[in-house]
Amino acid sequence: MKNRILPFIFFVLSLTLSMAQGVSFDAKLSKRTLGLNERLRVDFVMNENGDNFTPPSFSGFRVVGGPNQSISNSWVNGKRSFSKTYTYFLTPTQKGALSIDQATIKIDGEIYKTTPQKITVTEAVDIPRDPNSPEYLIDDNLHLVAEISNPRPYVNEAITIVYKLYFRNPLRISDARAVENPKFADFWSHNIDIPQLKVEDGTYEGEPYKMVVWKKSVLYPQKTGKLSIEPLSLNLIIDLPSNRRDFFGNRILQQSSRTVTAGRRTINVKALPEKGKPANFFGAVGQFDFDALINKNALKATESFEIKLKVSGKGNLKLFNLPQLVLPNTLEIFEPEHTENVVTTLSGMQGSIEDNYTIVPRFQGKYPISPVAFSYFDPKKEQYFTLRSSEQIVDVYGGPLANNSDDNSTPIAIKQLLSNTDESFRFIKLNPNLEPIVKKAFWNSKLFYGLITAPFFLLLGFVLFLKRNQRISNDVEGSRLRLANRLSKKYLGEAKKNLKNKALFYDALERALYNYLKSKLRIKTDDFSKSRIAEILVKRNLTQEEIKSFLDLLENCELARYSPATDAKMQQDFDQALAVISNIDKKI
Amino acid sequence: MRKLVLFSVMVLLFQTSVLGQENKTVFENANTAYNAGQFEQAVMLYKEILESGQHSAALYFNLANAYYRLNQVAESIFYFEKAKQLNPTDEDIIINGAFAQNMAIDAIEVLPNSQITQWEEKAIGLFSQEGWAYFTVFLAWMLALFWALYLKNRIPLLKRSFFVAALTVALVFLGTLSIAVVKFSRNNELNYGILFNKKIEVSAEPNSRSEALFLLHEGTKVELLDQLQEWQKIRIANGSEGWIKEGTIRSLKNN
Repeated sequence: MKNRILPFIFFVLSLTLSMAQGVSFDAKLSKRTLGLNERLRVDFVMNENGDNFTPPSFSGFRVVGGPNQSISNSWVNGKRSFSKTYTYFLTPTQKGALSIDQATIKIDGEIYKTTPQKITVTEAVDIPRDPNSPEYLIDDNLHLVAEISNPRPYVNEAITIVYKLYFRNPLRISDARAVENPKFADFWSHNIDIPQLKVEDGTYEGEPYKMVVWKKSVLYPQKTGKLSIEPLSLNLIIDLPSNRRDFFGNRILQQSSRTVTAGRRTINVKALPEKGKPANFFGAVGQFDFDALINKNALKATESFEIKLKVSGKGNLKLFNLPQLVLPNTLEIFEPEHTENVVTTLSGMQGSIEDNYTIVPRFQGKYPISPVAFSYFDPKKEQYFTLRSSEQIVDVYGGPLANNSDDNSTPIAIKQLLSNTDESFRFIKLNPNLEPIVKKAFWNSKLFYGLITAPFFLLLGFVLFLKRNQRISNDVEGSRLRLANRLSKKYLGEAKKNLKNKALFYDALERALYNYLKSKLRIKTDDFSKSRIAEILVKRNLTQEEIKSFLDLLENCELARYSPATDAKMQQDFDQALAVISNIDKKI
Repeated sequence: MRKLVLFSVMVLLFQTSVLGQENKTVFENANTAYNAGQFEQAVMLYKEILESGQHSAALYFNLANAYYRLNQVAESIFYFEKAKQLNPTDEDIIINGAFAQNMAIDAIEVLPNSQITQWEEKAIGLFSQEGWAYFTVFLAWMLALFWALYLKNRIPLLKRSFFVAALTVALVFLGTLSIAVVKFSRNNELNYGILFNKKIEVSAEPNSRSEALFLLHEGTKVELLDQLQEWQKIRIANGSEGWIKEGTIRSLKNN
């Protein structure tokens, strides 16, 4: 009796409950993806008893077991829960996307249907998994994932890679250690320390999981193309509930060790665009600010000043060189001091880098610090930017010897004074001295050639003149003739004129002879006697013959005045006179 | 006819003198502007004089100084070089020129000259081209005079000394003449210029495929060699040679 009433009460209660809760009828699959040689378990679960269960057609599957029916009915704290399950074990007969169609059941006169379920059937797997084995359980409930912030970055653009370990019940992880840490070849990498592993709630593929962030790294790819990231392997010790129970009925935990790896990932690194790439681009990628600071604009020679090139911002700060400072070579420049003040966070490097140049000018003058250009690529805006410092002039005054520390030596002070006056910048000139730009050149001009050759022609003329004189003096016969001519012209001119008149002729001839002697021998007219003449002539080294011919001639002149004489005789005397005179003239 | 010629000559003289007067006042104005710190104004005025067709070492020197004050390196060096051409020995020009050279970015080590080359340079640089020409003419006349005296003289001692003098003068004459000729041909062959490009690459060959040898900055003095289309072959003071493309080089030659 009791046995008959109880189900009845249950039934009534269940009816009322079902009214309140609603009826559910679901199809549950043990897996969504399976290999061709694996089995699938399908449960059709309902929470109210029903009739006329019609299974779906299971097209593409072969039913290897079932339907098994199971009913569970429990009563906890006055609350009843009921479930009835039809279980089928299926084996796929074909690959591809299959579906399990609707199953129907009639509960309380209403027909309920399950939703169709999609299943992917892949190639046969090596070892068909046993869904109840711990291996299977671990595989299903433990995942190590590498999350990459940007799988297609530019070269030198920061990306982050975060390794997360997802797990869920019934697994419990008791220990974990890295077997193999990934090597980021072709990347500049920075590990972000995680002080303590924390378990958080997360979702993996839409399902709730527990999550631990195992490792965080910032990477800057240094090469273009497909770069692979080696997997991270973790060795985990996992506690699994087993089917056995201990004395108190608790499940005995089974410990198993497992190595999980996050799969190999490839990153496709894009090259920086060539278009618009500035010439002075040295690989800075990010968002930057650039400045060149000079601490002094005017200083004495041999003092030092500093130029600071500073880049600040976000980007691959440690991975590029600052632009070179171009300075006049007459400045003494020391190797720049490089300082970095960079913090690396998950979003990349931040901070500033500086090159600090110390410069000592040796000589006074003005030195232009030409503008320094710094170019970078902004991956967000996908554009190059160039920042330029302003041009500055450093004025150096005081000579190279200006040295304040010298206090003992006066010579240096004097020298310093001198050198200062010597080496200061000179003032402009005040006297223009202008001349036409296009000036007639004297060199190569006609005048130049004329003036340079003229002396040689003159010299030649002079030489010729001298030569002529020489020739004349060397020619004896000719010279006598010329002498006679000259003498006759001088003394016998009058006589010659009077060749027709005898008296006048001889008178003139005699006078000419006397005149000749007078002028030649400087004899006074008064004491002219033949003996006296002879005496004088002897003194002059004349021969007796010559003296005689002269005296004869004089005598002739006297005689001829009173004796008849022909023209021929006159001519003869004239010639003789000429001969005598020229003879004597040569001797004297 | 003669009157006409005279008139035109007078007009010409008058014009040049007027020009000279005008330029002198412009020069003074420019100097005043320079002293007052208005260097742009000074540059403009100095250039006005240049455009009127007159120049002088002083003018180039002042212009270069004004450019130096304006921090224009290439112009400054260019005009200092021009000034040096006209007056190679002036101390002011040499000192201020060194200041301008300090400002240039490239400091090129000058190839060391051998002793002989140094002497040669010194000898050639002693006079300007005109100076050498006048000196040569003077020596020609001296030579003729001494030779004539030698020929004419009868006293042996005098004759001998005149002969020696004439010979010496003849040697000096030949020397100066050859120096003048060498200087002239050098001036014709050597063509220097100042680079005005802020920065230019010097390539090994006159094409864009060739490797870049070195970089030059503005204000560098270069020797201009061959030319091929838009490429110019240059040599710098340390002896390096190369080609530059479409460079702005202002020749120091008068033309």
